[in-house]
Amino acid sequence: MPDQLTISLNEILFIFTRAGFGVNAPIGISEDFARSNMWLAENGFDPSLCSVSALDSLDEGKSSLVIEQTEDGFSGSNSQYLSALQASVSVLDRVKGKQSVELTIANVDSPLLVVAALGANQVEGWKVCWCDEVGANFQVNFMANGQWHIISDGLGVIELSKGATMQVSLLGDTDVALEGNIQRLDSKVEKTKILQTGIAVHEHWNAIYAYFSRCLVKSTAESRASGAGAGLVDTD
Amino acid sequence: MPSSATLDEAMMRRPEQVMRLDRMGSSFPTRLSFMRGLIRRMSKEQWKFEKLRQDIDENGYGVSVYAAHTPKRTYSLVAFTQDIPADMRTDRVIAEVWDATFNLFDGVPTQDDIDYLAKNTPKQEGGRFRPSELSLARANKSLRLFEHIVSSLSEGKQPDVDLVASVGYIMRTTAVYGSGKFGCADRAKIAEREECKVSFHMELLAVYLIRWFTIDVVETIAKQRGGDRAVSLEPHIRQFIGVGNSTGLGMAPFLLKHPVLIHNWVSAKETALARVRSLETPIKGSLEAFTHSVRQVAQHLKEWRVADEIQSARIEQLEGEVAELSSWCDDESNLVKPYPWNGIYQFAENSFSLECQEMVVSLVIEPHGALVDDLADTMFSTTAPQFEASMSLTRLKTIVKDYYAWATSIDFSLGESQHHFWYYSEDKLEPRFGSKGVDDGVDQEMPLAISRDANDLNEQLKTASDDITVGEFALQYPQFRHIIRRIQNTALRPYAEVQDNLLGETMRPLDLLRFKLAFFGASKFDPKSDLWTRISMYQGAPMPDQLSDSSHDDWTFPIRPQSAL
Repeated sequence: MPDQLTISLNEILFIFTRAGFGVNAPIGISEDFARSNMWLAENGFDPSLCSVSALDSLDEGKSSLVIEQTEDGFSGSNSQYLSALQASVSVLDRVKGKQSVELTIANVDSPLLVVAALGANQVEGWKVCWCDEVGANFQVNFMANGQWHIISDGLGVIELSKGATMQVSLLGDTDVALEGNIQRLDSKVEKTKILQTGIAVHEHWNAIYAYFSRCLVKSTAESRASGAGAGLVDTD
Repeated sequence: MPSSATLDEAMMRRPEQVMRLDRMGSSFPTRLSFMRGLIRRMSKEQWKFEKLRQDIDENGYGVSVYAAHTPKRTYSLVAFTQDIPADMRTDRVIAEVWDATFNLFDGVPTQDDIDYLAKNTPKQEGGRFRPSELSLARANKSLRLFEHIVSSLSEGKQPDVDLVASVGYIMRTTAVYGSGKFGCADRAKIAEREECKVSFHMELLAVYLIRWFTIDVVETIAKQRGGDRAVSLEPHIRQFIGVGNSTGLGMAPFLLKHPVLIHNWVSAKETALARVRSLETPIKGSLEAFTHSVRQVAQHLKEWRVADEIQSARIEQLEGEVAELSSWCDDESNLVKPYPWNGIYQFAENSFSLECQEMVVSLVIEPHGALVDDLADTMFSTTAPQFEASMSLTRLKTIVKDYYAWATSIDFSLGESQHHFWYYSEDKLEPRFGSKGVDDGVDQEMPLAISRDANDLNEQLKTASDDITVGEFALQYPQFRHIIRRIQNTALRPYAEVQDNLLGETMRPLDLLRFKLAFFGASKFDPKSDLWTRISMYQGAPMPDQLSDSSHDDWTFPIRPQSAL
């Protein structure tokens, strides 16, 4: 495979849904995972970068889909990370249902995927803050009309951020942002660009595809012969 | 007196009647079908067609470019043709080579674009494409018709119309991909363009241009071979040549994965039928047009010959029923009364097979373009399915009870109810339909078991408290998230679901294929097994130079050229 491949949003939906399923995530959660990755791609990110980490972590048993409701949010088991695949849908359901105005989610393996789930569902007026296991701080603000900001202290790369306790809360008018680098993004503008260029994915794509491939069934001479379609040689 | 809207609603057929596999597998194209709508648009907007390039040798091998100029933009078919070994010519997805391969390009390709595509298009799934490519397709020759037409024309003769009628096409496509496949443009790139809004219009534009290409290629080769002696096809023969297609299981997952879209398609067709049935007095000339079309369809049926025993028997029965319908229509008292279209439909429903009932649906809608054609513009969807976590579980239970009784009533403890499963093969992701206990891959089953999943959900819901939300339930039982989302999004869209068990022992994927192909506008269904079928597309449709003819929309149930009968 070349160092870089250009793919479509539809391919992300197809491949990532099955990649999630490939690490035994329920199909409904895998569907949300894929839509989150589409949103990341629409905003110019290589979605395989943070997702491969989340999938690896689940596959290796370092993360778990088991989630507990706590007084102020969610947590996973003590000995494992909480998988972002599960955390993202749980947070999303709370936020969309406006059941909580402040949530704390402990020890999430890939926090950018939680952000992506909110973005993919056009959440507005919320912010997400976290400090990860290497001490890097991030804040993501969701404004109106698909505009959003990433603010970071520069100590880490957001796609690689890991092991975070996240706070999700309403974005107030007087909120003081984390001081640091601000990246301003407009989902609609970025998506228009991406639709013209496709999405560039890099070295981690192979690993994503390998998880996807677990959903494929090995072909045998019998299954080949009985497949739909014409004979193996066909003329008329 | 009821309002017309109320009457239309009362005349709508029920989902449990319409969305059953046996009826779906008896579908025919209507004037709302996508090919019909696309041809009307081409004619109305006066699209221009232009051959931009044809660099082919004496065998027709090389590269060609054909353009469709719409009022706002140009789309180009880039075609590559090559010699392939006879023993590698297969219509299967797992094929490696094809006689012709194509892209529909967004705009006019530069030489650099053509050079790029020359390296990728012939590889099909093995190539990589870009957002400038809207569609990817391939086709194989009908060897006997291709050579027959070339040699006839090169000798200054027209081809044998019997042979043309028996095959119907010079090439048959074996896949037409779009919507982001293999790197092609995502649908979102073009979804807002008027000419692209309706489902599959760009893929079917590619097919229309492929049809033109196949006819142009045989005429060009004949001219090279025969020189001054060579002639072109007579226009009426040219118009009768369509594009073939072999369709397998790839279409089935699409239907099941896009329930909202399917609802919109079926709702448009059923609304059209209801509007016609609600007419108290026929529109002037429409009954005459109908009785004429019944006679024409009898000829169409004589020409629709297939090897498949089941379909042959159905066609034979249909011929008898159409004759009976024709006689019934000859009795004026059956038609000259209030609500004549409803009378015709009811007569068909009470008297004839599903195949005939669905043909009558197509025939009664046909003369009512002014009444129904607006519905063709509703046959798309932009809705992304949402999971509504705040819905109460009581509400979800009610929806399942009210709208999914067809699923919850199936006994899945019986082996015959879970006989089959759907999976993707590692062989070029070819979709396959496995049998449990026979085929490997149950663990990798595609999530298409809608009825079983709804059934399982229903069982779990019985044990759950009414006082929680769907979000809380899904937190506890995440394995149901996908089916809950589906149910929430289809509850108010009654035609969204195939109301049958798609895993059952007697299930025929062919029924799903025919249903979808009829919406495309395909004709002459020619089943080759329960898993795949051949069809004709655009047979009888106007060629680019005929789009301004007043008869440009009169090509339903095509019959062989009259002058040759």
